[in-house]
Amino acid sequence: MRSGMLRDFLALAGRSILHRKRRSFLTVIGISIGITAVVGLISIGLSLEKTVTDQVGKLFGYNTFLLVGGDPFSRHGPSEEAFQLDLGQVRGVDGVVAVAAVRQENGFVTGLPDETGKVLRGVLPVMGLSPELATDFRSFIGGLSLEKGGRFFVPGDAQQVILGNRIAKDLHATIGTTVLIEGADKKDHPFEVIGILDAAASSESGGGFSAGAMMPETDDTLYVPFDMMDALFGKSKDVLLTFVKTAEGTDVQQVADRVETALEESGYKDASSVTSNDISKQIGSVMGAVRGFLAGIAGISLVVGAVGVMNTMYTSVLERTREIGVMKAVGATNGHVLLIFLAESGLLGFVGGAIGVVLGLGLSALAGILLPIFFKVPLATVVSPGLIVGTLFFSFLLGAVAGLRPARRAAKLPPVDALRYE
Amino acid sequence: MPVLKLEGVTKDYALGETTVRALRGLDLEVEKGEILAIMGPSGSGKSTLMHILGLLDTPTAGEASIEGTSVETLSERQLPGLRGQKIGFVFQTFNLVETLTAQGNVELPMIFQGVKRDERSRRAAELLTKVGLPDRLLHRPSQLSGGERQRVAIARALANNPEIILADEPTGNLDSETGKKILEILERLAREDGKTVILVTHNPDAAAIANRVVTLKDGRVVDEKRHA
Repeated sequence: MRSGMLRDFLALAGRSILHRKRRSFLTVIGISIGITAVVGLISIGLSLEKTVTDQVGKLFGYNTFLLVGGDPFSRHGPSEEAFQLDLGQVRGVDGVVAVAAVRQENGFVTGLPDETGKVLRGVLPVMGLSPELATDFRSFIGGLSLEKGGRFFVPGDAQQVILGNRIAKDLHATIGTTVLIEGADKKDHPFEVIGILDAAASSESGGGFSAGAMMPETDDTLYVPFDMMDALFGKSKDVLLTFVKTAEGTDVQQVADRVETALEESGYKDASSVTSNDISKQIGSVMGAVRGFLAGIAGISLVVGAVGVMNTMYTSVLERTREIGVMKAVGATNGHVLLIFLAESGLLGFVGGAIGVVLGLGLSALAGILLPIFFKVPLATVVSPGLIVGTLFFSFLLGAVAGLRPARRAAKLPPVDALRYE
Repeated sequence: MPVLKLEGVTKDYALGETTVRALRGLDLEVEKGEILAIMGPSGSGKSTLMHILGLLDTPTAGEASIEGTSVETLSERQLPGLRGQKIGFVFQTFNLVETLTAQGNVELPMIFQGVKRDERSRRAAELLTKVGLPDRLLHRPSQLSGGERQRVAIARALANNPEIILADEPTGNLDSETGKKILEILERLAREDGKTVILVTHNPDAAAIANRVVTLKDGRVVDEKRHA
């Protein structure tokens, strides 16, 4: 068959669709609703995924990974157990330029007397932070901004402390005063207050990753230099997580693997590395599953649309029985008739798909405007050319498949009977 | 050699439980360039004969051949192509495709023969001019009178330059004046272009232009008259 013949059939089909405008329009609506839902949901899903991945990328930069206890992506989530770690050993691994760690304990804390001379004492979370957090891992401590006059730890700091905003008030501590923390040796150790967290920073979990998930309850926590935790509570066996920065030009994954190997060789079997790639991949697979699920639900409406196309085509075949007879009388083969009707139902699907793609992208763009307003998350806009082309192709196919049985009925009509049909 | 030849053609139809014999051992030869009128009362088998002559249907028994080729030897797939090339149909109710313009209707048979677009539209315009509708190319059937529609149908029948024009009551839906004009066109096609024209008709005017009139009754030829 000439390729031009297919174009001629499409033209015939198009004319027939335009001739029955209202019915064609209603049929097309059925398809476009389903396609709108599918394209909209997938686009929103892609946008969310890109937003999250971008955030992770921004947090990690290109040269940082984490060490955590246990398998971070196991079915049971990250290990609840903190793990033991020798930071010095990690620093020694080839390709590592900076290491910072976070460790949490509960300590018995004594504050300063208030106007009536009352002194607040109590068990409070004490968190050990490496000074490198401020120099090499700034993105992770975004939430820890200090009130005026304060400063973060610098190398060499020892008995210095930074207080959460509320606990500073409760302890009646100000910058320059001294609070006491009882160590494992049951003795009170004096710590000079060098900084107090911003009220805004500590009450709002706006720092997301850092202030929210990884460094909890900033408002009530006391922060001391990481190395002081050894002196207060003994050798580190309860490190929450460790940040590792790699040298310029090294492959983060390779360095992470080297660190893991080194730790395993010296007996730290339950430590594993998490690169931004690992997290992105994990997010990708979760989002992919969610996307598939949503698209599947939206797909149900496509079935309804396809049934609409089938119904329209059956009606069309019935109405045009004589026309089919005429086409056969003037030389159309069964194959020609089949193709003409398939082209018609395919076109119905395609037009529905095209409208659906436009509306779906519109829906996703609307979500891109509304989500940031309601949830205060900026949403990246993703327009996937693959999704658009694939959807258009799929909707043509869907229409054609829905029209297959009616078209075959048309093709098989005996010309004599078709011509006689009133 | 006759263009169309039927030998002992029988055609049975299943009508519910019973079988209806529409043609009973019919013999007929159609010569090239003649105008043959087929007459007869309703139910005499005219339409069935027409369908078999037009390759739209095949005999139950006996043999039908076109230009010496037996229809039986042709496959289901070859039949439509041959029909499109050799035979042009003109129907009582015109049977134009409503969604297409006059030109589109004339182009339709050419589409199925794979004629290129430029060639199609050139030829369609030429044929519509020939039947006297040079200014109706882009009109749709609903915008044309009955006579005009039948002219479009004749132009369509001529699209692939067939040997045979098969007209089933071509004047049946037209007033006698308009019918006469249509018959004039068909007569010219035979006299001037050498087409073989087969008319199935009740109309005595139609019979008057024929070289030969064959009358059917109960599926058999009961009378055959030759005009000069």
